[in-house]
Amino acid sequence: MEQKRKKRSKTAGENRYFGDYGGRYVPEMLVPALEELSGAYFHYRESQEFQNELEHLRKNYAGRPTPLYFAENLTRLGRGCKIYLKLESLCQTGAHKINNALGQALLARKMGKTCLVAETGAGQHGLATAAVAARFGLKSRIFMGEVDIKRQYPNVFFMKTMGAEIVPVRDGTKTLKDAVNAALKYWIEHLEDTHYLLGSAVGPFPYPLMVRDFQSVIGREVKAQLRAYENRLPDVLVACVGGGSNSIGLFYPFLEDKNVKLYGVEAGGLGPGQGENARRLGENPRKGIVQGYKSYFILDDEGQVQPTHSISAGLDYAGLGPELAYLHDAGRICFDQVTDVEALTAFKTLCQTEGIIPALESAHAVAYALKIAVEFSGRQIMVVNISGRGDKDLFVAAKELDGEGWLRFLKEEANGERIN
Amino acid sequence: MNGSIEEVFAKKKRLKIMTHVVAGYPDLETSQNLILAMAEAGADMIEVQIPFTDPLADGPTIMAANHKALQNGLTPKLCLKMIEEIRDEVKLPLLFMTYANLAYTLGLERFVSESAACGVSGLIIPDLPFDERGYDDYYFWLKECNLVGIQVLSAGLSLSRLKKILKRAEGFIYITLRVGVTGARNGMEIKSVDFIDRVKAYTDLPLAAGFGISSVEQITNLIGKVDMAVVGSHLINLFNSGGKENVQNFIKETNQAIEQVS
Ligand SMILES: Cc1ncc(COP(=O)(O)O)c(C=O)c1O
Repeated sequence: MEQKRKKRSKTAGENRYFGDYGGRYVPEMLVPALEELSGAYFHYRESQEFQNELEHLRKNYAGRPTPLYFAENLTRLGRGCKIYLKLESLCQTGAHKINNALGQALLARKMGKTCLVAETGAGQHGLATAAVAARFGLKSRIFMGEVDIKRQYPNVFFMKTMGAEIVPVRDGTKTLKDAVNAALKYWIEHLEDTHYLLGSAVGPFPYPLMVRDFQSVIGREVKAQLRAYENRLPDVLVACVGGGSNSIGLFYPFLEDKNVKLYGVEAGGLGPGQGENARRLGENPRKGIVQGYKSYFILDDEGQVQPTHSISAGLDYAGLGPELAYLHDAGRICFDQVTDVEALTAFKTLCQTEGIIPALESAHAVAYALKIAVEFSGRQIMVVNISGRGDKDLFVAAKELDGEGWLRFLKEEANGERIN
Repeated sequence: MNGSIEEVFAKKKRLKIMTHVVAGYPDLETSQNLILAMAEAGADMIEVQIPFTDPLADGPTIMAANHKALQNGLTPKLCLKMIEEIRDEVKLPLLFMTYANLAYTLGLERFVSESAACGVSGLIIPDLPFDERGYDDYYFWLKECNLVGIQVLSAGLSLSRLKKILKRAEGFIYITLRVGVTGARNGMEIKSVDFIDRVKAYTDLPLAAGFGISSVEQITNLIGKVDMAVVGSHLINLFNSGGKENVQNFIKETNQAIEQVS
C-alpha cells in the first residue's frame, strides 16, 4: 500500500482526482493557467533548493515547528485520553494558513508573478497572504465577503496595514464561497501577472493537492514531536473542517497508520435547518461540481448552492475539499458536527483551563475533543489541532460572552468618550 | 425541426447574431417574451442561460440576472417548460447554456435528453472541459439525442489541446474576445484576434465570437473574421434601461449595419 501510494504521487501530475472527487472543472480559459501552475508546482516540489528555502522561512519567519502541548487541565476535564494541542495559533499571523501562503508565494515568485489574489473568510488566509506579499514585495488583493468583513474586522485592519487591498464582496451569501468566486473571476482577468493564492484544500486541481502538501507540515511535526515525547503514534486526531486545509494537513501523514482514528468537525451552526449550518456531510449529503471541483456541497434538489451559517467565518463554506470527500467515502475519516453554542463554550473553556485563546473555528475541534475524550482510556493519546488564535474573534466572542461590558465599551469608543 | 445550426450558417448574411437570454430574468414570462422579440427582430440564434447560484464564467451583469431569476424561484424544470412552450413559434435554433452542476445534479443523461425533448439544438457547459470525468458520458448522450455540444475557447489555449478539442467540436466554435468573464466592454484583445486566426487554420467549423461586445461597431468589425457575433450582457443592460423594444432596436440596427458593410 505504502508503495502504491508513492507511485501514485509521482504521477500525480496526471491524476487530478481523489477517487471520483476533485478534477479541474473550469472554463477552458483557466486551463492554461492551471496547467502552468501544476507544471511549476511539480517541478519545484522536487527541487531541494525550493524545499530548503521554504524550510528556512517556516522556521525563521512562520515560527515553526509550532508546539505540541500536553494540555493537562483539559485532559482532566475530558476524563478520558491524554489531550495534546497542536498550536498552529502560534504561527506568524496566528493560524495554519501561513504554511500554505508561504509555499504558494514562493512558487508565485518562481513563476514570475508580481501580484497575489486571495479569498478569505475568517481573514486568517487573507492576513497570511498580505503578510507574505509584504515579505516578498508582491501586491496583494484580498476578496472578502461583506458579512465576514464585519465579523472579522481585526484581521481586515491588519491586512490593510500590511498593504493589501481589501475588496468587499456583495454577491450571493456575501461570505467565503462568494469571495472564492470573486477571486477566481479576478484571476481569470489577470492571469499574466497574478497568482491566485487559494487558501484551502479546495478548488480545481492542483490546488487541493498543493495546499494539502504545504499543510502536511502540521502532521509531520506532530508525528515527530509525539515520538519524542511519548515514543508512539497518537490514537486520535481531531480537526475542524472548513474547506479542509488544517484537517488534511494534520491527517495526511497519518493516513497509512490505520490505527490512528481521524475526526473532522464541521460547523453545526444554529441547528439542522436549511441555511443554519455548514454541514456538507449531514443527513443527506449531496455531490456536485462547484468552483472547479467535484465533491460534497450544500445543494438543493436542483443543484443550486445553498446559503450556509456558522459562528466561525472560516467554517462557513458550502464545499468540502475533494480529498476529504474521498477519505470520508473510504471510511478513513469520521465527520461530525459541533454547534455555534458548543463552540463558544469550548472557546471559553480553553481560555479558562489552559490560558489559550482558540479561533472560533478551532474551538469546534476543542468542543468535539471534549465530547469524545471519555470514549478513550487514560493511556491513549488525542491530538487536537488549534488551527488559529482567537484574537480575531474579539467582536463575536465579546458580544456573546461579555454582552453588556462590550457594548458599553463600543458605545464609549464610538462617542469618543474614552480618554486614551 | 425548426432551423438547424447548419442552416443558420448556410444563410447568405455575412455575419450572424446570437443573442443571450437569462431564463427567468426579470421573470419567466418576460424572458419568454424576450426570446420571441429577439427572434422577431432578427437574431439568428439564441442562447438561453439556465441560472445557477455560482456562474463562474459570468461577470456582474449576467451574474446579477442569474441571482434575480433564482430569487424569483426559477428552476431548470421551469426553464425547460418555458422553452417547450415557444419552441414551435421560434423559427431559429436555441441553445441552452448552463453550468456543470445543474446538469450533473439532474444526471447528464436526463439533462441532455430533456433539453433535446424541449427542442433546443445544442448545449454550452463552459465548466465541463473535454478531458474531465463525465465529459465522455455527456458527449455520448449528446450524440444519442442529436444535440451539439458547443466548445468555448480562449486565447492562451495550447495547440495540442486545441487539436484535441477540435476533434470533438461540432456546430460551431465559440471564441471569447477577451480572456475574462462575460460583461460589456470596449474593444477586443489583440491576442484574441490572433487566436481566431489560429483556430481557423485548424477547423472548417463556423466561428462565433463574444464576451465584451457592447456596440454595433464592435460587431461589424467582426465581419470577415468570424461567422457569428454573440451579444449577452449588453442586451441585458439595454433591456434594463429600455425594455424589450430597446433590445429589438439594437438587433435591427446591427443587422442593418451588417447589410451596409456587406
Ligand atoms: C483558524 C482557522 N481554522 C480553520 C479554518 C478552516 O479552513 P480549513 O478547513 O481550510 O482549515 C480557517 C479558515 O479560515 C481558519 O482561519
